[in-house]
Parts: sequence; C-alpha cells; structure tokens
Amino acid sequence: MNEKIKTILVAVLAVITLALSAATIIAPKKTYSEQENRYLEDPPVLSAEEILNGSFMKDSESYVSDHFILRDIFMTVRAGYERLTGRNRVNNVYLGEDGYYIEEYNGLQNAARIVSAVTRLTERCESANIRAVLVPTSVSVYADKLPATAKGTDQETDRQALMKSVSERIENLKPSDGGKNFSWVDVAEAFEGAKKEQLFYKLDHHWTTYGAYVAYREIITSFGFAPLERSLFTERTVSTAFKGTFSSKVNDLLAKPDNVTVFESDRLSLTVTYPDRNLTTDTLYAQEYLTKKDKYSYFLNNQNTFVEIHNANAQSDRVLAVVKDSYANCLVPFLAEHFETIYVFDPRFYRGKISDFINENGVTDVLFLYNMYTIDSDAGINKIQ
Amino acid sequence: MVFSSLLFFFLYLPLFLVLYFVLPKRAKNYVLLAFSLVFYAWGEPVYVFLMLGMTLSDYILGRFMNRFDQNPSKRKMCLILSIVIDLSCLAFFKYAGFLVGTINAIPGVSVSFRKIALPIGISFFTFQTMSYTIDLYRREVSVEKNYAEYLMYVSMFPQLIAGPIVRYQNVKESLHERTVKANDITDGAMRFVYGLLKKVLLANRLGTLWDDAKLLSDPSTAMAWLGAVAFTLQLYLDFSAYSDMAIGLGRMLGFRFNENFNYPLTADSVTDFWRRWHISLSTWFRDYVYIPLGGNRCKVSRQIFNLAVVWFLTGLWHGASWNYVLWGVYYGVLLCLEKFVYGKKLEKAPKFLRHLYLCLIVVVGFTVFAIEDFSKMASYLASMFTVRGGLANRELLFYLQNYGWVLAVSIIVSLPVFPALKRKLENAGSRTRAVLSAGYAVLVAAAFLAAVSYMVADTYNPFLYFRF
Repeated sequence: MNEKIKTILVAVLAVITLALSAATIIAPKKTYSEQENRYLEDPPVLSAEEILNGSFMKDSESYVSDHFILRDIFMTVRAGYERLTGRNRVNNVYLGEDGYYIEEYNGLQNAARIVSAVTRLTERCESANIRAVLVPTSVSVYADKLPATAKGTDQETDRQALMKSVSERIENLKPSDGGKNFSWVDVAEAFEGAKKEQLFYKLDHHWTTYGAYVAYREIITSFGFAPLERSLFTERTVSTAFKGTFSSKVNDLLAKPDNVTVFESDRLSLTVTYPDRNLTTDTLYAQEYLTKKDKYSYFLNNQNTFVEIHNANAQSDRVLAVVKDSYANCLVPFLAEHFETIYVFDPRFYRGKISDFINENGVTDVLFLYNMYTIDSDAGINKIQ
Repeated sequence: MVFSSLLFFFLYLPLFLVLYFVLPKRAKNYVLLAFSLVFYAWGEPVYVFLMLGMTLSDYILGRFMNRFDQNPSKRKMCLILSIVIDLSCLAFFKYAGFLVGTINAIPGVSVSFRKIALPIGISFFTFQTMSYTIDLYRREVSVEKNYAEYLMYVSMFPQLIAGPIVRYQNVKESLHERTVKANDITDGAMRFVYGLLKKVLLANRLGTLWDDAKLLSDPSTAMAWLGAVAFTLQLYLDFSAYSDMAIGLGRMLGFRFNENFNYPLTADSVTDFWRRWHISLSTWFRDYVYIPLGGNRCKVSRQIFNLAVVWFLTGLWHGASWNYVLWGVYYGVLLCLEKFVYGKKLEKAPKFLRHLYLCLIVVVGFTVFAIEDFSKMASYLASMFTVRGGLANRELLFYLQNYGWVLAVSIIVSLPVFPALKRKLENAGSRTRAVLSAGYAVLVAAAFLAAVSYMVADTYNPFLYFRF
C-alpha cells in the first residue's frame, strides 16, 4: 500500500478508536436497555475478593460492553452486515419473507412435564368443563415464509403428538366421578384459512389481536356459545411502532415496526381487579405501555399473578378460569363478552393450588391456553395443580 | 483479556500506547512491564505469582551460570535445575490432573486429586524462559543482569498468552535499546488491525458454524466435512490472527518478532506444513529436543525414535488430553512415512494432488484435535467417512447459505492472494497504485467498523488456547 495512504488510514482508525473510547467513558450511563429489553450491567465493584476470584474482571468486561457508545447503532450495523453476507438466521430467528421474523423451533424438551401438568389439572378439577389450546406459532403457521434453506423440527407433528398423549392420559383417568369434561380446541385449521391477514406480529413472538380473534371463534364455540362476528367490533390501531422480542434478538433498528390493533366493543361493562398492583379499573388495556418498548403489555397490563374480571353485561353468568401464558392477554377481551366472571392465573407466580380455587369458587369452565414455545420453556407449568 | 475484546482494544491498549509514547525512554520498559503484569493478572490474578517465580528462578540460575563461567559441572547443575523447575511447574499445573485421570482409568486404581486450574499461557512462557537458560548454557547468548528486563521479555503482553514463542536471543538487543521509525508504527498498526479483522470477522464467525456442526445429531457426510473445514480455517485464522496482532504490536514498540505462520494451508506435504504452521513451536522442538537427541544424523531406527519423542511431546504441549497426543502422533507417523516410505514418490506427483493430500490430512487432523471425547470424535469421523447421515441434505444448504461468504473470504485470506496481487501491481503505474491503495484503505476502514460492531454486539469471542 502507498505509504501516504497507509499513514492516513492508520490515523483515521486511531482517531475513530480514541473517539469511541473517550465517548464511552464520558457518556452518561443508562441502567436499562429498551432495545434489548433488559437491565444493563452495574459498574464493577473493586475489592480484593472480587479481584482474586476474577469477578471484577468479568464484570468490567460486561460493563464496557453494555455501556459502549452507540451500542444500538453498532448492533444494527452488525445485523446489516450479517444480512449482507447471506445470513438468514440471527440469534435463532429466521429473517423470513414479507418482513416476518420467525423463531426457529427445535423440538420439545419437556413433553412429559406438560402432559402431567394438563392431566393433573384435569384430574383435580371436580366439575368444570375444561378446554385446552396449544397455539401453533408462526414457525408452523407461516412456514411458507421461512427462508428456503431453513432447518428445524416440524412443530405441527410435535403439537399433534402432545395433544394425543394428553388425551390418552386423561381417558385413562378413573371415571370415579363420572368422567371428565375435557377436550382440546385445535385452532390450526382456522389459522390456515385466515392466514392471509396477519395472525402474528412480524417482529414479536405473540399473535396479533386478529390472530386471537380467529382462535376465539373456535374456543367460544367449544364452550357452547356463538362467536361474535368481526363486524360487531371496532378495530382501532393503537400503535404503529411496535418492535417486539424478535426485533431485539435481531437488533435491526431499520426493520419496519408492527401495528398494534385492538378490537373494541361497546358491550362490556367491566370491573377489573389486579390484586398484585392494588388496582381496580374498568378496562382490560393499560395505556401506558403504548409509549414503552414492550407494547404487547398493553393487553391485560403486562404480567400479573392473578386478575379478576367481571362483566355486568355478559351473555351468561358462567364463571371461567384461564390458566395461561401471555397469549391469552389479548384473547381475554373476547371471552369477557360471554362470561360474567373470569379469573386469570399465571402459574409462574400463583402460589396456591389453582384447582382448589376452581373447586371452591363456583368456576364452571376452565381454559388452558399456551403457545408451543412457552409451554415447553415455562417453569410455571410444573407448579400447576 | 482477549485482544479482540472491547475492554482491551478501546481502553487498555489506547491507555498503554499513550503512556508508552508520552513517557521518556527510561520509563518505557517499566510501562510495558507494568501493563504486561496487569494484563496477565487480569486473567490470572493468582497465577501471576507463578510466572514471577518461574522467571525469577531462571534469572537467578542464569546469573549463577554466568558466575561459574569456568566451572562446567556447576554450569550444568544450574541448567539442570532450571529445566527441572520449569518442567515441574508445567507438569504440575498442566498435566497433574491428566496423569491422575489416566491412572484412575486403570481398573481398580483410584487416586483422589483436587483439580487445578490451568494457568493461561503457561506453555508459552515456560518455553520462552527455558530457551533462555538453555541458550545461555550453550553460550549462544550473554547473561541478562536486569531482572525487570528479563521479566519483561517473558511477560510481554503482545505475545504472552498465545505466542509466538519469542526467544531471548531474538529480542535481547531490543530489550535494552530499540528505535521506532514512523513506518514501524504504521506497518505495526496495520498488522494488528489485519489480525483483529481476521479474528473478529472470520474466525469467530466460522467458530459458530463449527459449534453448530459438532452438535448435530446425525450430520450428512458433506455437512461433517463442512464443519471440519470450518474448524480448520477457524483455528488457522484465529491463531495466526493472534500472531499478527502480537507481531504488529511488537513492531509498534520496536521489537521484531519472527513470523509464526507462512500460509500453512498452501503446503504440499506434511513436512512442508510444519515448516509453515506455528513456526516458533516447531523450531523450538527442533532446536531443544530433536537436534539434541541426534536429529537425523543417526541411523534410521534412532531417527524414528527421535521423531516419535518430538511428536508425542508436540501433541502433549497442545493440551493435557489424549486427543492432542493422538494428533501429535498422527503427524509423527505421517512425517516418518514421508521421510522413509513415499516422500520421493510424493514429490513426483502433480502439485494439485500433493496439495489435496495435505489438505485432507490437515482437516482430519484438526477434527481429532478439536474433539477431546474419543467416542464423540469417533462418531464425528464416522460421519465424515461414511454416508450414515446421507451424503448431503437441507441442513447443508442452510449452512452454505449462512456461511458461504465467510467461508469464501476465509479461503482467500488463507491463500497468499494479497501478496500475489501486490507483486503483480508493483509494475503498475504510480497512479493506478494510488487509486488501488485508496480503494483498499476504504475497504479496511469499512471492515474495521464492521469488526467494531461485532465486538460490541457479539458475545461469541472465544480464546482457543486456554488448553495450551
């Protein structure tokens, strides 16, 4: 290389390096990363012990990495570079067609745990009707949008097998109390017919409100109600800037964000109680999350151990208990049309026995609803009884 | 601290360079020494004292050897003591657990043993400090009277933890007196950046491919080969990147370290490969083990014995595990075959075939090197040499799609393409050269920014030599 140009290049690289160093040192430090949805490393503690066991060094390295200047922008540059070099999977998320990010599916690790949880719950509930849903995720519903070379396991096969083993276990329960009223609600077929419209967010692992509506039609039918037609709701876009968990994994600031839509109804007259938050309100939505990164938390106010919902205008006086993951959060508004009372449980946090609650509080119906990812990874499944 | 970590590159290194160049000449060695010790203590806050002890013992024994200049038996005693101390430390901290494990594998034997953590870089600095006392005994160097400078030679952070193994005789003058010209700074910096780009943009990427490949339950034949090729390229690019960074940094400070790699993947025989791969290690074994044993100036059976010793030790040097020994012995056997059986015939074969022969040997060799567990190794090799997982499948397409570019660029960088281009352009007009230089500079700057983004966003930045 020409000596003069070499000198200029070295000088430029040195200036860039020093500028980034200085800016990283001087810049004010954040404690939380919205983009990555996590708390950043605290400044390392200097003590003899921390030095001798090496944790001071480790913490310093993560501190510098977490607080490096323009971290979000560098992550976007990296994502762009990955894409440029043919990468179609970043942090286990495929970059699919039409802007869909789709999480890779690698099979169930905890099938036995799931089967016993559902069986146990059914066994312990004395008289309620139990409906269970395993929601397929975008990797299965939108398999046609995956890159042609994508690998991974077939989620649908696993899902069918899982439903079958649960059904068999429940059929073998002793019919001492006249048998159980348990059945699966399979939403896959309904999804297949409705998937032209967006059933899942493109940048998040949740289903859209429309996805939940399609599932609602199947679920409510199985509970013996007629589903409300779509035209009876007012669809309103409450945010056009939702970048969910997949976007955090891929870290591409340039990806086009999702819209968050809500199906509004004027038929509800609600009293919603969140004991965790000491909060009683008349809505199933939490406005404040629309200005934060995690906009899906708008539905049912993020995570709660337990929520109690009453609708004075409900179609029936039946009482529903929902045992669920976050997918249920945007489904509950539809269910509230039909049930006077809904109790919502998050088994991860709920300390008592859900079945005792169900038996003692006049619950007539139970909905067990998880998506195919959460049901495998969620540690709360084990606590269900 | 890994050279390609944010903390090192953006804080430690700039702070060091600024202090080093700002402070007067007599302070420079102390700055370098202090930063080297902190650098080592960063990874080994306790074992830094082991390094201090080993260097101190060799320094003192060196002084004694000098004092007993006229007394051959006492000189010899000093040398023996030095070698015994160094090798005992190495044996205890690196091989004790392995030895106990091997003994315990014998049925009916059970020796209890508390696992000792391996000090980073112990094999590198032990070999460096040993080379000094041996050379001193052979009267190839004169004695070092300043302990701080001796310690600085052994602990110098550019080459401390991943080589090259620098011999005292090569840097003796520069330890006391060295000059840095403008082009030492620019060439040294460019060499460092080149190493950094190789490590971050190529080796680390390939590493994720290999990590995936070795976990596949039943890879197709082509996939298994792809994984093994990826590991081979990763190890070469990563290891030579460390040498590039060490040589570049050394040059910026006024040291000239010998080259450690010379495009080993272009070799056309095993003999040739080992002249080009980790040169500082193979010459170390040649000068301090092979030649003292008699080298090749003895009868064939003794030569084979000498080779066996050297290659058993070479394998063992790379890690306290039988797979490394197997890897060393594999090369020992191949070298014997080339030397005594088919070497002459090989020379007559077309260049293309010779090269293919070598590449196959190297890729299979590194597969053995990469997998410590023998049953997993056997299973992986079986996938490579049978079609039990099919010849190729969709998985292969996925990895080719995702890693095709990285593989292609890695192969180009592993071959002497740039030096060849440079030679071609020597006769071009000065204008053409300036334009091409500018284009190259822009490319390097863009790659540098990409590398920074990877350093910031990527958690995958392995240090492959912790077993050495």
